Amino acid sequence: MAESTNGAQQDARPTGRMTLERVNTPPAQTWNYLRANDITLTVPVHSRKGDVYFALPRLFEGVECGMGQAVTTWAESQAKDAHYVEVKAGEKRDEPIVAQEDTGVMVRAGAEATIVICTPAGAPTQDTTAALVRIIAERESRVHVLEFVCGGSEQRLDSVGIIAAEDARIDVRQFFLGAGTTAAGLAVALDGNRARLELTCRYLGREQDILDINHVVRQRGRNTRCDVRESGVLDGHAKKSLRATIDLVHGSSGSEGAELENVLILSDDVTNKTMPVILCDEDDVAGNHGASIGSVGPEQIQYLRDRGLSVQEAEELYVRALFDEALICAPTPQSRAAVLARATDVLGSEVANDLVEGLGLGDAEEV
Amino acid sequence: MSNQLLRVSGLSAGTEDKPILHDVSLAVGTGETHVLMGPNGAGKSTLGHVIMGDPAYQVTSGTIEFDGKGVTEDAADKRSLAGIFLSYQAPVEVPGVPLYSYLRTITQKRPELKMTARKFRARVGEIADQLDMGSSFLTRELNVGFSGGEKKKIEMLQLLLLRPKLAILDETDSGLDVDALSVVSRGIEAYRADCDGALLVITHNTRILERLNVDRTHVMVQGHLVAEGPASLIDSIDEHGFEQFEKASAIAGGDQA
Amino acid sequence: MSERTEKRTQVADVDRSLYDFTYSEEGYERYEDGLTPDIVRAISEKKDEPQWMLEMRLAALDTYHAKEMAPNWGPSIAGLDMDHISTYVSPRTKQAKSWDDVPDDIKNTFERLGIPEAERESLAGVGAQYDSEIVYHNMREEVAKDGVVYTTIEDALHDPQWEPVVHEYFGTLIPPADHKFAALHYAVWSGGSFVYVPAGVTVEYPLQSYFRLNAEGAGQFEHTLIIVEEGADLHFIEGCSAPKYYEANLHAGAVELFVKDGARLRYSTIENWSKNMYNLNTKRARVGADAKMEWVSGSFGSHVSYLYPTTILQGARSSCEFSGITFAGATQDLDTGCKVILNGPHTTASVDTKSISKDGGCNTFRSSVVIGRRAEGARATVSCQSLMLDDISRSDTIPAMDVRNATASVGHEATIGRISDDTVLYLMSRGCTEAEARTMVVGGFANPVSKELPLEYAVEMNNLIKLEMEGAIG
Repeated sequence: MAESTNGAQQDARPTGRMTLERVNTPPAQTWNYLRANDITLTVPVHSRKGDVYFALPRLFEGVECGMGQAVTTWAESQAKDAHYVEVKAGEKRDEPIVAQEDTGVMVRAGAEATIVICTPAGAPTQDTTAALVRIIAERESRVHVLEFVCGGSEQRLDSVGIIAAEDARIDVRQFFLGAGTTAAGLAVALDGNRARLELTCRYLGREQDILDINHVVRQRGRNTRCDVRESGVLDGHAKKSLRATIDLVHGSSGSEGAELENVLILSDDVTNKTMPVILCDEDDVAGNHGASIGSVGPEQIQYLRDRGLSVQEAEELYVRALFDEALICAPTPQSRAAVLARATDVLGSEVANDLVEGLGLGDAEEV
Repeated sequence: MSNQLLRVSGLSAGTEDKPILHDVSLAVGTGETHVLMGPNGAGKSTLGHVIMGDPAYQVTSGTIEFDGKGVTEDAADKRSLAGIFLSYQAPVEVPGVPLYSYLRTITQKRPELKMTARKFRARVGEIADQLDMGSSFLTRELNVGFSGGEKKKIEMLQLLLLRPKLAILDETDSGLDVDALSVVSRGIEAYRADCDGALLVITHNTRILERLNVDRTHVMVQGHLVAEGPASLIDSIDEHGFEQFEKASAIAGGDQA
Repeated sequence: MSERTEKRTQVADVDRSLYDFTYSEEGYERYEDGLTPDIVRAISEKKDEPQWMLEMRLAALDTYHAKEMAPNWGPSIAGLDMDHISTYVSPRTKQAKSWDDVPDDIKNTFERLGIPEAERESLAGVGAQYDSEIVYHNMREEVAKDGVVYTTIEDALHDPQWEPVVHEYFGTLIPPADHKFAALHYAVWSGGSFVYVPAGVTVEYPLQSYFRLNAEGAGQFEHTLIIVEEGADLHFIEGCSAPKYYEANLHAGAVELFVKDGARLRYSTIENWSKNMYNLNTKRARVGADAKMEWVSGSFGSHVSYLYPTTILQGARSSCEFSGITFAGATQDLDTGCKVILNGPHTTASVDTKSISKDGGCNTFRSSVVIGRRAEGARATVSCQSLMLDDISRSDTIPAMDVRNATASVGHEATIGRISDDTVLYLMSRGCTEAEARTMVVGGFANPVSKELPLEYAVEMNNLIKLEMEGAIG
């Protein structure tokens, strides 16, 4: 505990705790007794008396973040610094931008950037870590967001907000693979005409893990597109809530929004809650969502058995697949290290090594 | 006897409410190429699935032996590891599993194929080139969103990777355009050449057979094997169709009733 | 002669006046507006109820005052002021067994709604409620001979054979503390039906209850209690309508359905409350092993609706089918859907709903599917389609699923869209006007639900759709 890669949370200033009541809420809620609308979190509060608060340009206050204003306020007050990154118009930036606790990224017109949000690698050494990331994507920009939650703390909060202007293309890939409590909210506003979002979210819940995910897509521009795919595996006593809202706002004519979730449940002790919401205030739009929840389908099982896998091996394949994909997507040594450390935890070192070697990462990089 | 790889004896099977196969007997020797023909709905695909061990069908009598061992009671994964491969007519979509993870897992299951991940990648790359497949497909989900032709290529990729002793190709040629058909034919040839594996080709279309050295031809009508003969039988079917056999089957069926 | 022709025409073209007529409530017994223990006691006393019922009412009243509406979801009910709602209005008439004995104004109401005609043609029994009391109740003799009971709860409470049965079941499926308006219902309930179908009896024709709220600024709080014993089979139809007023009306009924092992119950509703109605109705069914619950629901009326029939699949292999359609037009905010709780192993549920929004109407489809830990192999599918007829209306889809069994499977799909221009063009190219084309498409959209209804009701529903579609095109 004494040593930490991220010293900010560990300094000797007085620390209390506070409750973030009913956060990570969707735009439209439902019956409270289902306990699917929100999550209540207890988080540490470090006194910042006498500190100068570094803040992002005011512009970023207008960016809706997935976990809501209370989390934004808390995260801002706790972040040691506010990081502002700007990618110049037309610039294609190869080097990924690594998000800190409080980060704002301005991707100017026609530019391209990759933003990585990642937990510290390895076993939990901290109580709570968080990332607050706000992105403004100007017209015709391309933004890739990669989010890896792989442990490093007992509790992780990721709150992300993106505004996309005309013809901006956003893709977000989330991997929630960590142990403990993960609360993650993502809000994307497709404000400009023809703005697009592709969101894939992969998650793993095992043992006593708690996963609380909130996706909000506001389609405001004309002819916008959004495609949201969530899939995950739940085992042990894992509890997962996923809220996915597609909001087709008045004026978004010609827009299409689609959302699909596939969940594989491996244990009777799992609690799996899903709330796929479409809000529609416009007639010339198409919205659809689907969810399929359950065990691996009998057809899939038979296909996999015909190729030599037992039922259990078939189920394990789904877990391995999550890590394979996360590793393929991980663009930085830190994110690869975080995924691998978690893979070793979950799948054992033999499979983890196989993952590394198979992906051609191999010994070129010491992880 | 010892060179008989697959021996099906007096096999009757069907679904819970409907018998489909009646007293089917058939033997395929090591490295041989057999063709199973018949009109639509004759039960050809059912036979393929029953040999593979599909629990959708129940065997009511008869036995299946593979490589000298009875496998009638074995589950599909056991039969697969023993060396039987069934190429699906409509390969199943498996969301959530990228092709790469899948191929790696099914390969590592077989002691004779175990290899380092690096070698494995190289091997998959080789086969993919052979089948004119790009490398991006490896990160896509198994069979999800692939065209019919691409799915068949993925089946061929698995065939060449797993090197089974017997491959049952269930209507692998159906619904393919000319280019995809030629790639699939190339895959089958490569399998014959590299693995010396036996083939049981289920089809009602003789085009795919033109480039194969067929050893035996079987004809199935209404769940009965009604004729067996050399490769030349195919030409006769090409010319006269299945009618000649359908009459025979009507008689056979009549006898049974 | 000419008068006769005119009447015909009126029947042929459906128009609002079919539902939109009122009769004076002069001479009716009307209790003071608002909610006090005195009013509750007065209702109970008038009904000469057992003590337990009065106690239940008074406890429910406390619960009503103590409970709040959830602040974070649902349409606004700000226009509903309980201080201006009379909870009990009764025509001064005795319940009749023959339409001839029903007072003329009330009889005319039901004549115009086609109830006596339907009874002659296709029903096994009919109950008709006017404001707070049942005014007519009758059942075919052969059905009664099988031991089927179809009466009011009030009468059942006065029958020594049935009072213990009502006591055993009443308020057990929907407890008074369920939500604020369930509590209100139990405090002031009046009217409704008690149906008992003995084991093994199949009731060949449907039973029907029709609810008419005639009085302005009043509430209707009927309670329906149906027990379908083992292996029995019943189709129950519920129809509701009211004339239009400017003052708010309130409907807070409760429907408790007990479907025993191996039984089947179909519960069909065509609801066409007027657009000043707050419809806060609660319906719930508990289903035994191998039994089947079928809901067919058409919602056209109300200013605000909160309506989510709930099915608890308690017994092994029990099943539930829900088909519903909701049509929201101008000034309407309809929050409808259903809840299914799958507790038994190998239970199955299939939900298929449609909604149509137009003229600024607001539709919310809200559902929950909960699969319990013991529900091995349970399966549920939810399909929800929404049609938007213009760009000033709104359609929200808010389903929730909670799955706690690894062998269970849940499938959910929802689509929102509009009538495609291609379809309209195609129909117009074959000679339909645009309005006809759109009406045709909407009719086709609703068809999967209307085909589940007995013919006369399907016709009524299609007429309602036509009525709602009139003037959809400027």
